[in-house]
Amino acid sequence: MPRRYGPYGGSFVPETLVPALAELERTWRSARRDPAFRRELHRLSTTLGGRPTPLYFARNLTRRGRGAQIWLKREDLLHTGAHKFNNALGQGLLAVRMGKPRLIAETGAGQHGVATAMIGAALGLRTEVYMGSVDMERQKPNVDRMRLLGARVIPVTSGSRTLKDAINAALRDWIANVRTTHYLLGSAVGPYPFPAIVADFQSVIGREIRRQAVRSFGRLPDLVVACVGGGSNAIGTFRPLLSTPVELLGVEAGGRVGSHGAASLSYGRPGVLHGSFSYVLQDADGQVAETESVSAGLDYPGVGPEHAWLKDSGRARYVAVHDHDALRAFHWLAKDEGILPALEPAHAVFAAVGAARRRPKRDHVVVTLSGRGDKDLAVVLRESH
Amino acid sequence: MGRTVSALKQAGATALELGFPFSDPIADGPILEAASGRALRHGTAWADLLVASRTASEILPTAVMTYANPVLRRGLESAMKELSTAGVSGLIVPDLSLEESLPWRGAARRSGVALVLLGAPGVSNDRIRRVARASRGFLYLVGRYGTTGASAAGTSVDLAPLVAAAHAASPDLPVLIGFGVRDRPSARRALRTGADGVVVGSALEQRIQRDPSPGSISRWLRAIVGARPDRLRNGQR
Repeated sequence: MPRRYGPYGGSFVPETLVPALAELERTWRSARRDPAFRRELHRLSTTLGGRPTPLYFARNLTRRGRGAQIWLKREDLLHTGAHKFNNALGQGLLAVRMGKPRLIAETGAGQHGVATAMIGAALGLRTEVYMGSVDMERQKPNVDRMRLLGARVIPVTSGSRTLKDAINAALRDWIANVRTTHYLLGSAVGPYPFPAIVADFQSVIGREIRRQAVRSFGRLPDLVVACVGGGSNAIGTFRPLLSTPVELLGVEAGGRVGSHGAASLSYGRPGVLHGSFSYVLQDADGQVAETESVSAGLDYPGVGPEHAWLKDSGRARYVAVHDHDALRAFHWLAKDEGILPALEPAHAVFAAVGAARRRPKRDHVVVTLSGRGDKDLAVVLRESH
Repeated sequence: MGRTVSALKQAGATALELGFPFSDPIADGPILEAASGRALRHGTAWADLLVASRTASEILPTAVMTYANPVLRRGLESAMKELSTAGVSGLIVPDLSLEESLPWRGAARRSGVALVLLGAPGVSNDRIRRVARASRGFLYLVGRYGTTGASAAGTSVDLAPLVAAAHAASPDLPVLIGFGVRDRPSARRALRTGADGVVVGSALEQRIQRDPSPGSISRWLRAIVGARPDRLRNGQR
């Protein structure tokens, strides 16, 4: 597993965290070779999580696109309602293996917080989740779910009061409590080995897509599409397909028309945020920009380092989709297929329908539907009036 | 600015750590985080840092403390050259690990800026030796598990073995302890480990907020300087 992806990645952290990152790397390396660990991961993925998630042919959405077939990878059907389960389970088991009795996490949309609270309950680990106060307001149902699952939710009121600041707060907590606490980082960001570990646990998405595509339509898809905030569901989708000819499309949050939204790959430049070198939205002095997106889960000025390299190397393409187009895609999926998606993957659905329209009917496009939309109902009702 | 630095010098400070704000200061506690936020809201820019450095470095040897990204955004070589031209003697980057420091050390050496590396509790003796050998100017030893600041958060640990390991690896390199040093007792505790000095940041920021007059700052620092090793141990190092 590489420390770097091209020039990106690395480990820019206060020295206090170095021993914990080394311990995490050692534990993960030994766990992934340990048949007992893999059996337990598999048992809980299937019986607690509900894996494998289906690959669904979206017939009506395909008709809307009037082009390539659109298939949905249904991570929204996973336990706790999003792909975040995969990583929370894996890292939760690593925390147990390291003998750390306490979990902390950051959350934006609340899906990672809910997944962490769930796994904390299931594995008997005390769990505290940092969440920006702006996000607590717009993703209220998930705050309630975390609390009901026994986690403490700690509001973060500094900076932009969103995901970026929640990560700052979690990192500070970890620096102070590193001997007893595992920081269950929720996206493919942060210092090495986090991007590698998160991608590893999320790669189950892409592995299942490979298998299910062959079973469903006899070959690999022509294009896979996933939304990118930090980029964990996208890297999980892409990674098992990197050595195939499948085209990869990542979709960032473009925010309102005329803004840079939260699209770090589209509008940012390389820099260091939260421990790794990657694309960052920043000003001329290297101060990190505040972002704005209708979806709390994509509202982040950085991005995982592997995506930075996939972009530079040309292996994947990245586009930005505006808030109002994501909302349109939300309604398409609701009315065409009877599925309420989270606003995050609604960005990917919009881009996928556009791509399908430009492709012949014999092509197959797979979109990772990374989460369900229950948490977003209030925002959608307000924005759609 | 000049009056504050002069007051610190008169009260016994031997060097100044000048912070350049960063939007996401993960190693800092609430006091310096808030100070950073205020500075940015007032529009503090890199050019202001160079002006302040020039003023400060005429009074006391000055090390700039900032995070990796503002320096990288400037470009390693040009940032170091600009700092050097502004009279800065050292650069402290709390999120720069030994693993990432190689190109930084080269750029700093070429510009004559001492790149100060940080050591921390919990690391192996072998690692602290490697950090001490790579650090220039002094070794900044983080005094406890936790972020900067005067609050009780964070746990203190026995640093004497780390100080000894650093001194053994790099005999001419002073070891300074920071994070959580706020008054005379905490400074005295830090110096009892065999360290050569202490760094006080958040407590000074709090003092400046309460009363920024040179007299107030000078009185505050004199109380801490009473704990200096040359007074405590007749200057063994």
